Amino acid sequence: MLKRIAIVEDEAAIRENYADVLRTQGYQVQTFANRESACEAFALSLPHLVILDIGLEQEYDGGFTLCQWLRNISTTLPIIFLTARDNDVDTVSGLRIGADDYLTKDISLPHLSARIAALFSRQEALKQPTPESSLLTLGPLTIDNQRMSIVWQAQNVDLTITEFWMVFALAKHPGHVKNRQQLMKDSNIYVDDSTITSHVKRIRKKFNQIDKDFNCIETVYGMGYRWNQDEK
Amino acid sequence: MVWVTDGIKMKNKLHFRFGLRTKLLLLSSFLFAIPWFGYQYVWEMEKYLRFGQEQTIIGTARALATSLHERPNLFNNQASFLPNVEKGKDLYGYQLSQAINLDGQSNDWPNFQEKSHYYGVENQLSAQLTVENLSNHFSAAVGKYDKYLYFFIQVVDDTVIYRDKNARAINKNDHLELAFNDINGNFQRFILSNQHQGWLSAYRINSIESNEILKFPAVISFIQGQWLETEQGYNIEFRIPLTKISDRLAFAIHDVDTPISAATSIIGSADPSTAETLGTILVPSPEIERIVKGMSYTQSRIWVVDQHHRVLAKSGDIKKASGLWQKNISKSDNSDSWYAWTQRHLQPVFQYLLNKPQNDFIDRLYDTQNLTGEHIEAALSGTPKSQWRLTTDKQAVIISAAYPIYIGDNVNGAVIVEETTNGIRSVRNKALEKLFTSILAIMLLGVLAFFFFASRISNRIRQLRNQAEVAIDEHGRINNDIAQSMQSSKANDEIGDLSRSFSTAVNRLSQYNHYLENMSSRLSHELRTPIAIVRTSLENLSLQALPDKSSAYIDRAQSGINRLNNILTNMSEATRLEQMLNQTDKVSFNIFDVLNGCIQGYQQIYPSFDIEYVVSDEKVILAGSPEHIAQLLDKVITNAVEFSQDTKLFVTAELKNKTFTIHISNNGILLPETMEQRLFDSMVSMREIPQTKEDKTPHLGLGLYIARLICEFHQGKIVASNHHNPQGVTISISLPLP
Repeated sequence: MLKRIAIVEDEAAIRENYADVLRTQGYQVQTFANRESACEAFALSLPHLVILDIGLEQEYDGGFTLCQWLRNISTTLPIIFLTARDNDVDTVSGLRIGADDYLTKDISLPHLSARIAALFSRQEALKQPTPESSLLTLGPLTIDNQRMSIVWQAQNVDLTITEFWMVFALAKHPGHVKNRQQLMKDSNIYVDDSTITSHVKRIRKKFNQIDKDFNCIETVYGMGYRWNQDEK
Repeated sequence: MVWVTDGIKMKNKLHFRFGLRTKLLLLSSFLFAIPWFGYQYVWEMEKYLRFGQEQTIIGTARALATSLHERPNLFNNQASFLPNVEKGKDLYGYQLSQAINLDGQSNDWPNFQEKSHYYGVENQLSAQLTVENLSNHFSAAVGKYDKYLYFFIQVVDDTVIYRDKNARAINKNDHLELAFNDINGNFQRFILSNQHQGWLSAYRINSIESNEILKFPAVISFIQGQWLETEQGYNIEFRIPLTKISDRLAFAIHDVDTPISAATSIIGSADPSTAETLGTILVPSPEIERIVKGMSYTQSRIWVVDQHHRVLAKSGDIKKASGLWQKNISKSDNSDSWYAWTQRHLQPVFQYLLNKPQNDFIDRLYDTQNLTGEHIEAALSGTPKSQWRLTTDKQAVIISAAYPIYIGDNVNGAVIVEETTNGIRSVRNKALEKLFTSILAIMLLGVLAFFFFASRISNRIRQLRNQAEVAIDEHGRINNDIAQSMQSSKANDEIGDLSRSFSTAVNRLSQYNHYLENMSSRLSHELRTPIAIVRTSLENLSLQALPDKSSAYIDRAQSGINRLNNILTNMSEATRLEQMLNQTDKVSFNIFDVLNGCIQGYQQIYPSFDIEYVVSDEKVILAGSPEHIAQLLDKVITNAVEFSQDTKLFVTAELKNKTFTIHISNNGILLPETMEQRLFDSMVSMREIPQTKEDKTPHLGLGLYIARLICEFHQGKIVASNHHNPQGVTISISLPLP
């Protein structure tokens, strides 16, 4: 079945470039320049994935509004923010209102399509039973590689794609130090060191919501991070 | 920036400055002119008062003289009409100050030696013997006390012959002959002749009724006295009631050398044998004295002299004659007021500065028989005159005025009035004391007020200067707290205005600075969209089948755009870090964990470098963000590695005074001196060394700026300093313990 992707972006050149790439990869692409036209079309039928910019023409926070509106309609629709705003505040608020990922515009197209593909395959995987082979269990941690979901102490940890890839990269080789460059590579992003730091912080926070004593992700100062787990 | 530091240096060099406070103090020293004016004024006042006093005592003298004018009878019996007076013959009865004991001793006569007159060869009345033959001479003094005229005669005689017990004659022995006119002008003769030493025996040798000489001497009792034999001869001391005598008198000593014989020599003041040959006696006139006494309430010393300078009357004491003011200046020390208190404390100072008039001054002794002085001469020749003079001990100034007394057209005497200027001086001193005390208070208050004012102004200006200096720190950053406090200056004056306008300027600068600080971040944000367009376009292009030739160009364009992207990321890194730090919660962590881990990491990252570090298992707990501390170390180590000329790094840590300090040293090129502090500013880079390998990372001078931001987040400091032998740079990071 042909996947339909909607791009809401006010910059025509970027919008068309993304659309072209995605089209060549076999997706059906709808493009919108502002929130009104997007809403109109979404009201008729929802796409399979939405890529949003935050600033839309005159609306400074138009993307956020649209995201909230879409989340009200569908809780499962994958939404990716693709924006030039790279500050922490926007990232946090974007993810809080239900986006599946928050990407900056300096992400390369292959990285972007990798994410899109990952999101679709996760959706697919949710529909099917998980084969045992794609499950990774480490004590209280269970990683479902297929569905891209992580369970800690039998509770689901709600992670973005980027975060999932990071945890997966760390937990795949417990006790091994992953430096920031490796983590970036594994999670298909290219950002600076402090962004990685804040990603890790956010991941820890999410685990802490389930388990106050969570301390499996250890910072190895000067080198990177390491998954530490006592084999129980 | 440079000029600011220069200014500070200059300020430090000039240790002494002619500041506002000094200037105002100097100006306030003009206040000292006030006491000077006051002093001058008081002096003028004193001059004026002296002039007034002079006029007053001339007035007193005139008044007294007026009451004595044209009263010849006052002077009649005073022998004042004599054309001239002869000493010894014309006697003067001194006013005695104490009662005389009639005992023949001269010790109760004050200044007998000076006041007595010597009678010798020249005063012989009979045979003119030569000095060698004359066996007899004497000194005599006349004095007046109460109602008596006292005589003291000290006779030097080789042989004293007393009247024989059985002798009828009273003149065949040593005796005193005395003659005077009584009140009615009748001539009286007496002989004082003793049979032995002791109470005097006096005889009248003429009758009162007629001029005939009595055949028989009559004993009289109103002449009383003592005959005392002495080693040289004998003393005769006697008195006569003033009511018995008039103004003409003579006495003579008859010296007898063999018993019952005639006198060998007669020495006397004048010939007592006839009324015509009598000398005069001047006794201070009780009548004039009465008039003068009436004047004595003026508290002046008053003399009345005759034309022969002899004192006719005298009243008052110069030591009490200090002018009219003395009584008025009663001390008011009993009051407990502030003024009295100051007065008491300043008294010693005043006593030292001002010469207090003293009442125990010593003036020259007057020869009352012969008062002298220019003013007296002038008065006796008809011109009133006054005179200022110092007392002999120079302790007081005496002003004296003389005024002539006229009888007919002739000057018959003069009134002399004397006063000291002590009264005026007391008044002057009192005025000066009061003036000085008040002026001292005024000046003290004035100078204090000036000083306070000057201090306040200069303090405010200094405060403003300090604020202005601190408002922009050495990194060119604006301290907003200071700018705010300057703004809040409420003073409604020029300094307040200055403060406010300075604050406005700083605020504008701050806004501009803020604009600059956000510049790179905003620039990178604005550039991101066009770069995204270029990059996505290139990526799209590369996905299509292209001729081999053009794929090379696409690769180049892509590497270019990646570099551009890197630059933008780096540019906004500092801003992002600042935002992130704002949201970071501080946690407690062991700094050695971070340090040990990081160094281990660097040893892996830079395998060619020899990083000297002693791993410590100490525990030093800091509060902050360990990830950021690691980032800080990353930046510093990266710099140290890049600037190293050998392959050695030294990392040491120490804990001192609740501050944890990490020193990171390399051996390499030194920092230029001016760069030591600026190194940690935004967009400051001193990379001049040519990069040998192709350097892909842009150098925006943000690395150490980020290090500084992290340090500041931990309330720490980061300092770079050069070290020598071997040359290199040490970067010290100090972080305070919580």
